[in-house]
Amino acid sequence: MVRVRTGVYHDSVSLMRVSRAATALPGVEVAVVAMATELNLGIAAELGFDLPKAGPADLLIALRGGGADTLEAALAELDGLLAGLSAMPAGGTAVEHPPHTVRAAARERAATLALVSVPGPYAFAEALDAVEAGLSVMIFSDNVPVEQEVLLKRRAAELGVLVMGPDCGTAVIGGAGLGFANVLRPGPVGLVAASGTGAQQVACLLDHAGVGISHLLGVGGRDLSADVGGLSTLRALEALDADPATELIVLISKPPAPEVARAVAETIAKLGTPVVTALLGPGQDDLTAATETALRALGAPVPAWPSWPAPGTAGEHAGSLRGIYSGGTLCVEARLITGSGEFTDFGDDAYTVGRAHPMIDPTLRLEALAEVPPGEVVLLDVVLGHGADPDPAATLAPAIAGAAARGVTVIVALVGSEGDPQGLNAQAEALNAAGAAVFTSNAQAAGHAAEVAAGIAR
Amino acid sequence: MTLTMLSGEPEVITVGADLLGEALDFQAVPRTRVDWRPPMPGTEADLARVLADPRRGRANETAVGRLVSARPQLVGVRPAHEVLDLPKGTFLHAGPPIEWERASGPMRGALIGAMLLEGLAADAADAEERLARGQARLDSCHHHRTVGPMAGVVTSSMWMFEVRDAEHGGTAYCSLNEGLGKVLRYGAYGPEVLRRLRWMAEVLGPALQATLERSGPLDLRALTAQALQMGDELHNRNRAATSLLVRELAPEVAEAAPGHAAEVLRFINGNDHFFLNAGMAACKVSADAARNVPGSTMVVAMARNGTDFGVQVSGLGDRWFTGPAGVPDGLYLGAYGPDDANPDIGDSTITETAGLGGFAMAAAPAIVRFVGGDVSDAMAATRSMYEITLAEHPAYQIPGLDFRGTPVGVDVTLVARTGLLPTVNTGIAGRVAGTGQVGAGLVSPPASAFTTALAALAEAVDHGNGSV
Amino acid sequence: MSVGTRPKARRVHVRTHGTGAASTTLRQVLEAPRRPARVLAAFPAGVYLEIRTELEPQVIAVVTGQATRLPNAMVVSDPMPQVAVGDEACVGDGSIDVGRLSLRAHRWWNPAPPLGTVKVAELVRSLPAMAGLCERSSRRSGLEGNGAADLLAQGCAEGSLLKSVVAAEQLIGLGPGLTPSGDDVLAGLLVALRHLGGATGADRAVWLADWLAAAVTFDVRGRTTPISAALLHCAARGEASGEVLAVLRGLAGRQSLEPALHRLLQLGHTSGADLAWGLRIGLAAVIDLEGRGN
Repeated sequence: MVRVRTGVYHDSVSLMRVSRAATALPGVEVAVVAMATELNLGIAAELGFDLPKAGPADLLIALRGGGADTLEAALAELDGLLAGLSAMPAGGTAVEHPPHTVRAAARERAATLALVSVPGPYAFAEALDAVEAGLSVMIFSDNVPVEQEVLLKRRAAELGVLVMGPDCGTAVIGGAGLGFANVLRPGPVGLVAASGTGAQQVACLLDHAGVGISHLLGVGGRDLSADVGGLSTLRALEALDADPATELIVLISKPPAPEVARAVAETIAKLGTPVVTALLGPGQDDLTAATETALRALGAPVPAWPSWPAPGTAGEHAGSLRGIYSGGTLCVEARLITGSGEFTDFGDDAYTVGRAHPMIDPTLRLEALAEVPPGEVVLLDVVLGHGADPDPAATLAPAIAGAAARGVTVIVALVGSEGDPQGLNAQAEALNAAGAAVFTSNAQAAGHAAEVAAGIAR
Repeated sequence: MTLTMLSGEPEVITVGADLLGEALDFQAVPRTRVDWRPPMPGTEADLARVLADPRRGRANETAVGRLVSARPQLVGVRPAHEVLDLPKGTFLHAGPPIEWERASGPMRGALIGAMLLEGLAADAADAEERLARGQARLDSCHHHRTVGPMAGVVTSSMWMFEVRDAEHGGTAYCSLNEGLGKVLRYGAYGPEVLRRLRWMAEVLGPALQATLERSGPLDLRALTAQALQMGDELHNRNRAATSLLVRELAPEVAEAAPGHAAEVLRFINGNDHFFLNAGMAACKVSADAARNVPGSTMVVAMARNGTDFGVQVSGLGDRWFTGPAGVPDGLYLGAYGPDDANPDIGDSTITETAGLGGFAMAAAPAIVRFVGGDVSDAMAATRSMYEITLAEHPAYQIPGLDFRGTPVGVDVTLVARTGLLPTVNTGIAGRVAGTGQVGAGLVSPPASAFTTALAALAEAVDHGNGSV
Repeated sequence: MSVGTRPKARRVHVRTHGTGAASTTLRQVLEAPRRPARVLAAFPAGVYLEIRTELEPQVIAVVTGQATRLPNAMVVSDPMPQVAVGDEACVGDGSIDVGRLSLRAHRWWNPAPPLGTVKVAELVRSLPAMAGLCERSSRRSGLEGNGAADLLAQGCAEGSLLKSVVAAEQLIGLGPGLTPSGDDVLAGLLVALRHLGGATGADRAVWLADWLAAAVTFDVRGRTTPISAALLHCAARGEASGEVLAVLRGLAGRQSLEPALHRLLQLGHTSGADLAWGLRIGLAAVIDLEGRGN
């Protein structure tokens, strides 16, 4: 059964949630509920659906399963779910005539920043609206052309605002978590990050140490490239330097382009606020070490990072190592530390086409975990916080237990704070009870995994 | 440098994935949710190029600034042959340029009437044959600083409102309104139509000209602002504006044309739409002030000829961007129905171009039923136009929206982004030549007029910035 | 999109669970083991709870986004719990349970954010501006012309702890309402002395704030309403509502003063004007005391 609804729009993440729910309806085998973009039409066609003409502004519903009556019933159920999407979320400001653009919203309502997560090709217009209205903007969207990024950041510099992103996964402004963000206590450390999960790791470790953050400013993964020239990084550093709540700045990035590195160094030299840099690369401090440097700079004690050792005896023997990651920076860090093993970053664009990020949708990682042969060592990350899976252990713990039962050693890097909605302790205990060794430091998790794989430790 | 967002309570505008917006709700972060949808199909690349044009912001500010600062004044009523480059045998018409072959019923009817009025044909059949043979030269009103309602046909013997912009110095013209029912602008050309037009040229025009010579210029900006507060939207409802006009002119008419004062005033007073044409000229002179600002994406003309709907854009000179004119949706007079309706026609969309008419629906609850809706629809119509306009008019205010200025200055990029088309109030002409008015209602312009304009703007970006 | 996969169990949101943003002042009482509490006052935009605990604050507010963000508040996005004065409640183990709602903090804010370094010249510029705006406002303090308030201003300007404490003793609990005018003036003063004094390096002002705070909080409970007592405890640590913090930033030249002060003056019956008066006394005192050693 295929239906096309014209003039109906829902964002892709919401539709993925509906799709999942649809697959759960009685008698439904395959369900595609998506905007009829070329990509989604292709996916539906591959699944063998016969498709009528439809465009990106139309909603495509394709169902296969038991008899026609079953599908009709499923369709009715689906319509209910879709109607629920259209209804205003409980907490959002219910307005009679919601604005259709950031420009209109900024004209009618007070605001300090905008959060843009529309599909990449459309993000430029909304972000530019924000900048031109004098608002800083976080662009969660990816696939934004680099020349648009440069233009936005130049315009932002003229108008005294900050562009965070594109492809900026996390930011915390005055305690408010945007995108994938943790619940963190307010405090003296300001973070500037070209890496989302890297920033989450540092912020959560600081929180474990009882040290809060003032702001976490994401800049987007390309900001320190030669093309963009660190436009947002430099502005973010200066802004935190001027922020009275910030006493120490931590800059987190992959190693920047050489000329950009020079500009960053020059700017840092001019700041009154001390800066700790965590540049993920060979021979550099890992994120945990950088966090410890920051703590020492503040005169704060460095605690033992919380961990939950594996309960059972699984994986006594050395075996080869696999990294099954959702966070790109965490994956890079783990690979640098272990030095060997087969690592996959399921948050990479190649795995998220037409699918939600693995921090929301665990499907691919669960499949990968199920395929690990006995005797091997698996290292995986679990990232908590706003926007992420509300209960990752619910699906991961049984999979981990299954793997452990097959003789697979599972080690988890759990990135989260005590205040996170999922509950750090509850998640750690559930994963641990399933047989995993759980570390809040990814570097320690990776170090442990390398030792286990080498047969040094269990 | 400091960032304002780093101090005080964050307030966030969210656009895109609701999951991320909901996460803010759980944190009790005040937020405004944008009800986003993809732009009109096929416009992504053009939008990106046009939005990136560094000239755009300032250019639009200049263009809309000129549009809303214009001070139109009614300075005279003059024969077309004196003020327009309009030799006998040349006729102006509404909308983008069109030739006889493609002209619709009411346009053809009005052109036949024009031939008869100017004595260029013996009868209707003769006129039609001569027109078909191309014996008359046709041109768009807009090419001559002129606008005309419905068919908008202007001949050299007609008398025109002359409106001057006291701020920027421009001048614009519009014919005199004939009244309702069987009239030339709806394509009727019977003897009573021609008789009325001759009386208008012989009596009404000269009387009004003498009147304005005595009274001096009449401030149309102030009059329009007042009429809006009295329940007009100045396109489909002009009752308050006409009343105000009569009040201003009556004593002077009595003195300037004592012999004709009674019939002149009776004629004006008997037609609630008499002001429309003066108002259109006022809108035209304001919109013309905003023309030719390089890089501006603001619409300076929307007009229909009964076949095509066309727009002109400030940054693109006199080029027209057209699409097929739609059939209005509305209420019909007597036994007429949708089958009798002609596609959208007339230059009266200049009122919407200048922030009145459909854009000011919220000011005119009295006519919301006429255009098929209730008061909340009217409020919603005006509110939605703020989404696609650059400014709020400083003088034209809507009491029902707490005296918010009317939405003014349609931005082609915002139309493409939101998919919201300008709301146009209009009369509906009969499809068959000579029928006259059959109804009134609302009409949506064709999206293609705006998307082709956007494409041209995108092309102009490179040329424009290359030459600077 | 997830295609052809079986559904995974999702946590069902229990209807009575709510979330919000909490002041860090609440962190301790929230993380402590559960304690009984009761509803002290209930309004459409806010509920006050008194907790049976030795920890501060003993009174906390649960408010909507429209209400004043008090330094002892949790702001919730959900509708207010339907409760009446005297109803039982519970606070601790991470949540505030009141009525049918169990509330957890999904965000923390600092009610005493540092102001950074401020030049005293900036404050010298701000004092007449603030005075002028207050004089022109129709919102007046409930204690205008009161001798004790004048004495307080004089004592602070001279850096005299004795005079200040004598005046403060008379002001505690003075006036009607949930937060009596005298308390609001003192709260404004304490916050201004601490933040503006610290920001300009006026050690004598901070010293005065420390001692005055100790004197005020020593026996405040029992001398005024529990709500006001809790807010004075907050003010003693420099914690204030968003409106007061915005005025402090305005005085420091970090943002526009006029709109911030205007918003403060609109609060409550006279609360905003009383707080503003206290801030003014503190501002003048910091200017007078700057440069004087401790």
